[in-house]
Amino acid sequence: MKTTPKAIVIGGGLAGLWATLRIADAGFPVQVFSLFEVKRSHSVCAQGGINAVLDTKGQRDSIHQHIVDTLKGGEYLANQPPVKSMCEAAPGLIRTFERMGVTFSRTPEGLLDQRLFGGVKNKRTCFAGASSGQQLLYGVDQQVRRLEARGQVSKFEWWEFLSLLKDTDGVCRGILAMDLKSLEVRAFPADAVVIATGGFGQIYAPKTTTSSHCTGAAASRCYRQGAWFANAEFFQFHPTAMIGRDKNRLMSEAARGEGGRIWTPRNPRDARAPNAIPETARFYFLEEFFPAYGNTVSRDEASRAIWHVTREMGLGIQGTDRVYLDLTHLDRAFVSNRLGAILDIYRKFAGTDPLAEPMEIFPAAHYPMGGLWVDFERDEFGGMRPDSPRNQATNIPGLYACGECDYAYHGANRLGANSLLSASFSGRVAGESVVSYLRGLDHHRMSLDQAGVASDIDRQQRLNQTLMRSDGSENPYRLHQELGALMTARVGVVRVNSELATALDELRDLERRAASVALGDSSVWANQTLVFARQLQDMIRLAMVVAKSALERDECRGAHHKPAFKIPLPEGKFAGDPEFEDYRARWRANNDQWLKTTIAEFSAEGPRIHDEEIDLSICPPTEPRDYR
Amino acid sequence: MRQFAADPRFLLRRLHSLLGLLPVGAFLIFHLWENSQSRFGAEHYNGEVVAFLQGMNYLPALEIVLIALPLLFHAGYGLIVVNQMRAEPIRYRYLRNWLYWLQRISGIGILIFLLLHVGMTRIEGLWRVSVREDLFGHMQHLLSQPWMFGIYLAGLLLSVFHLANGLSAMGIVWGLTTSARAQRRFGFVCAGLGLLLAAIGVHGLIGFLP
Amino acid sequence: MKGLPAKTTSIRFRIRRQDAPGSPSYWQEFAIPYAPDHNVISALMVVRNNPVTADGQRVAPVVWDRNCMEEVCGSCAMLINGVPRPSCSALIDSLRQPIVLEPLPKFPVVRDLLVDRSRIDEGLRKVRAWIEIDGAWDTHEGAPRISPGEWSANYFYSRCMSCGCCMSACPQFGPHSDFIGPAPLAQVRLMNAHPTGRYDQAERLHAIMGDGGISDCGNAQNCVRVCPKAIPLTTAIGELGRQTTVQAIKDLFGG
Ligand SMILES: Cc1cc2nc3c(=O)[nH]c(=O)nc-3n(C[C@H](O)[C@H](O)[C@H](O)COP(=O)(O)OP(=O)(O)OC[C@H]3O[C@@H](n4cnc5c(N)ncnc54)[C@H](O)[C@@H]3O)c2cc1C
Ligand code: HEM
Ligand code: HEM
Ligand code: SF4
Ligand code: F3S
Ligand code: FES
Repeated sequence: MKTTPKAIVIGGGLAGLWATLRIADAGFPVQVFSLFEVKRSHSVCAQGGINAVLDTKGQRDSIHQHIVDTLKGGEYLANQPPVKSMCEAAPGLIRTFERMGVTFSRTPEGLLDQRLFGGVKNKRTCFAGASSGQQLLYGVDQQVRRLEARGQVSKFEWWEFLSLLKDTDGVCRGILAMDLKSLEVRAFPADAVVIATGGFGQIYAPKTTTSSHCTGAAASRCYRQGAWFANAEFFQFHPTAMIGRDKNRLMSEAARGEGGRIWTPRNPRDARAPNAIPETARFYFLEEFFPAYGNTVSRDEASRAIWHVTREMGLGIQGTDRVYLDLTHLDRAFVSNRLGAILDIYRKFAGTDPLAEPMEIFPAAHYPMGGLWVDFERDEFGGMRPDSPRNQATNIPGLYACGECDYAYHGANRLGANSLLSASFSGRVAGESVVSYLRGLDHHRMSLDQAGVASDIDRQQRLNQTLMRSDGSENPYRLHQELGALMTARVGVVRVNSELATALDELRDLERRAASVALGDSSVWANQTLVFARQLQDMIRLAMVVAKSALERDECRGAHHKPAFKIPLPEGKFAGDPEFEDYRARWRANNDQWLKTTIAEFSAEGPRIHDEEIDLSICPPTEPRDYR
Repeated sequence: MRQFAADPRFLLRRLHSLLGLLPVGAFLIFHLWENSQSRFGAEHYNGEVVAFLQGMNYLPALEIVLIALPLLFHAGYGLIVVNQMRAEPIRYRYLRNWLYWLQRISGIGILIFLLLHVGMTRIEGLWRVSVREDLFGHMQHLLSQPWMFGIYLAGLLLSVFHLANGLSAMGIVWGLTTSARAQRRFGFVCAGLGLLLAAIGVHGLIGFLP
Repeated sequence: MKGLPAKTTSIRFRIRRQDAPGSPSYWQEFAIPYAPDHNVISALMVVRNNPVTADGQRVAPVVWDRNCMEEVCGSCAMLINGVPRPSCSALIDSLRQPIVLEPLPKFPVVRDLLVDRSRIDEGLRKVRAWIEIDGAWDTHEGAPRISPGEWSANYFYSRCMSCGCCMSACPQFGPHSDFIGPAPLAQVRLMNAHPTGRYDQAERLHAIMGDGGISDCGNAQNCVRVCPKAIPLTTAIGELGRQTTVQAIKDLFGG
């Protein structure tokens, strides 16, 4: 008997919903799983916009330039064919979003507007007011609702993915999921599974700009079952995030761009109100460290400088992890006019007026470039072969990954406004790959062994019961705080091998402690503490991958910064000079050794790391970057 | 058309709204004007105004079709609408919320008043010729009792409020006023109309007093 | 509001709790050390780290919903001191103490402050709040033009995050009625304004001209007052009034 194969998509963010649409468009039934209503996914947080070369601003922008910017921005760590295909697909994606009704901002002529965004020279970012991610997500959410009304898609909101169902050949054949209300664990057989569960900034909580559900638990569970996790050491920190107890909220770089100055009191015990501190007692460290750029240095440099001043010099405000971002010296009307929307956010959440009092900021974990390893197939034009079932496939057959939880598009560092693009694009590609995969399936393959499924369910239920009955002493939420503090301190903006080694030890200790928690809630109905205690264990496991990957990579590349292995550019020396040539040689040697994808595999003793060559077929790194 | 047959709520609600203004609201305006003639004395009121009205052809038919049925429908469906409300005027002390609540309360108030009022005038007049022939005297007799005067005043003010506020709601229901600004401005216009009608009504009430 | 008495040393909460749907609710009080930069969520997180009531009793951690903590995801709405609003943007310093937290009214309680808002989604499905497209692929057609003025009117509505505050404040919405509530109505306004969304205007209007549709709005206008995103709901309702008027005339008299 031939039945229609069906697919499961885990995650209702931009990536997951795109995959859902493409699979359902092809006529296959899809079940979407999400921890909550899909339209509340973290994708809504993105404010800035999404990159696509439309070349509508008379700047002769080109897709090639977008590709090069993305690759260089990521310091060549990304495989190049997927990046090429993504940049080429971007304009079409924007047009599709537009047809879905996304309210992109307009030019006076009624056409799509584009603006300048982080680190590139051309205006190539489409935006929808100050809520681009929200608008894009709602666009696909509405389409999914349309298909849902037609019965092609069914949503399982308030359901959590727990583990993969694998058959005896190791092929993914469905999932186990838990109803977050009744705590029922149920098996959902399927012929292909897409995982689109977003990032994992919460391992740095509360110093992260991500939503509280960005735990990475789902990806960690796949890793635990054999999926490779790649480039975990690359985590982008946003230099200026407003301090909060629940999370750190993004404060746009525009604040520095418009003349904001970053400083800290020269005396860390100075308890005066910031406005009462005279100029002479203020340390404008960015201006001192980088006389040429001052406060407008790149994100990375700014993050590291703030790190250095607070963590290494001990000069944070009153010795804490805080420095000032000061706009009070600027003309009020000018600033209000240029920065109105972001100042409102600060007022709303900090309760003070940034035009009267300096803002308090600190770098926050923003975006993981790493994630589940995914494959691609190169076509004769150097891009990804359309509809290849290998695209976005993990190393587990039948399991696909896309969005922030894959590793594929940003290399060692992500360009601003490129991740909404990669989430949409990779989601679309994953959907198309799944369709090819489903079409190629052997209809006579063995069905899943029911006894095995039953024992899997049993194992998950026992895990719940063990946690419920546990009479340990640890509070999972406090352990989470410890995890965040530990990761921020030792696996943060600047990395030192001895610290990383210590971090690994401490993580192992945390892992042990997380197994003996006291939930303090014995209810079998909507028990959030139980759910969180489970996620915490997976977060710690993922944190180990991050720490271990960071420990293994002895170089500075993109967001991964190890000062001990920095190859400094010789001052005042240029090509031809022996000193510069020596530098060039070291740079080459470093690339030969380290320009590789880090891949972590689960083992009981901890992550096992190996590496993989990178496809540099489009624009290989021939020259070191030199901004002078 | 077919869709309304299956699901008539929209049409009923719009009919309710429309009848509130036409003819019920229009009747109220006319009625208040009619009663304001009391100032010119019993002779004028009985002889010119009432006699003219009572002398109209097909009067009972007009009364039934233009007044009684629309009013009954508006009141009947109004009770259904009132039943849908779960107002929290204390929790949400916004003007519009209060008006929303008062609209419904006043509807019930009017209903009670009308039962009394129509019973004591038009219905009583059916069998008591003296009432029919000297409505002025009858009203004067009634309104001379302070509590009855109070009831009339209340009934009058409730009706006028209900019409004026209903009119401003109609602006939104029918899509005449859309922006918040337009709604506020039209609200003022309706308030003005309400005050005017209240003045005419009170003027008429006082006109009956000896 | 920094004008609180300086002796504030703690933040006090009164929280209405409920163990499961249908079970009786009860009150508990909590107190945590004062800090000026708390919002309701960050304070609840502190309570969660050590769930002990003000009178020393160890209790189950409070259950509630949150995600973005930036007022864009719409998860965290609850009744705070009697008013429905998102809790992530409710700064402690601006609230009267003890801060009274209750689940968002009108929606069925799941547990404690967590409610089931699937009715919003149902409403959106009922009114067909989407643009009919051929499929999620590129048609190589440029974007339809939309004037900046029209854009800014539409943009207001596109920011609705389905938090449900407007619906919980609406006296016509609740378990007693089948009114879909203001938020889905506003989405009809948005979809009908899109150059291609317009093609299905009649279907959407028919959907809201049915039971539970626009005629159940009584113009109480609480919705627009409590909406944290300042979405002009009552303008949408007025515009839909106009559109349905025209549609009804077409339906009744042909055209
Ligand atoms: C503050 C901020 C601003 C940003 N601004 C920009 C910007 O301007 N431009 C840009 O390009 N990018 C930006 N980004 C990045 C971008 O928003 C994200 O990378 C992108 O939205 C990720 O989308 P996603 O679909 O992969 O995941 P998400 O949107 O995070 O979705 C994850 C989904 O997975 C589900 N899920 C997770 N775990 C489970 C589980 N166990 N079981 C079931 N379901 C699960 C969740 O319910 C959710 O639906 C920003 C990020 C942040 C933090
Ligand atoms: C201001 C004070 C009012 C006075 C002095 C007054 C007077 C009268 C009189 C004298 C009649 C009898 C008419 C007749 O039999 O021909 C009457 C009838 C009636 N009145 Fe009033 N009235 C007043 C206010 C109102 C109000 C506020 C309403 C509310 C809508 C109202 C509704 C009616 C109705 C429905 C009838 C019956 C009409 C008919 O069928 O002819 N009246 N009124
Ligand atoms: C003097 C008699 C009356 C007049 C002139 C009148 C007029 C009106 C008008 C113009 C409206 C506005 C319609 C709209 O909002 O679309 C209205 C609304 C209403 N009326 Fe009346 N009405 C009268 C009597 C009554 C009675 C007796 C009731 C019964 C209880 C009633 C109940 C209502 C209700 C509940 C509404 C609110 C409808 C809404 O806004 O949703 N009315 N009325
Ligand atoms: S309209 Fe406003 S209050 Fe209502 S759901 Fe949308 S955002 Fe929330
Ligand atoms: S509060 Fe409710 S009654 Fe109408 S105007 Fe708003 S939907
Ligand atoms: S947590 Fe997202 S709106 Fe408050």
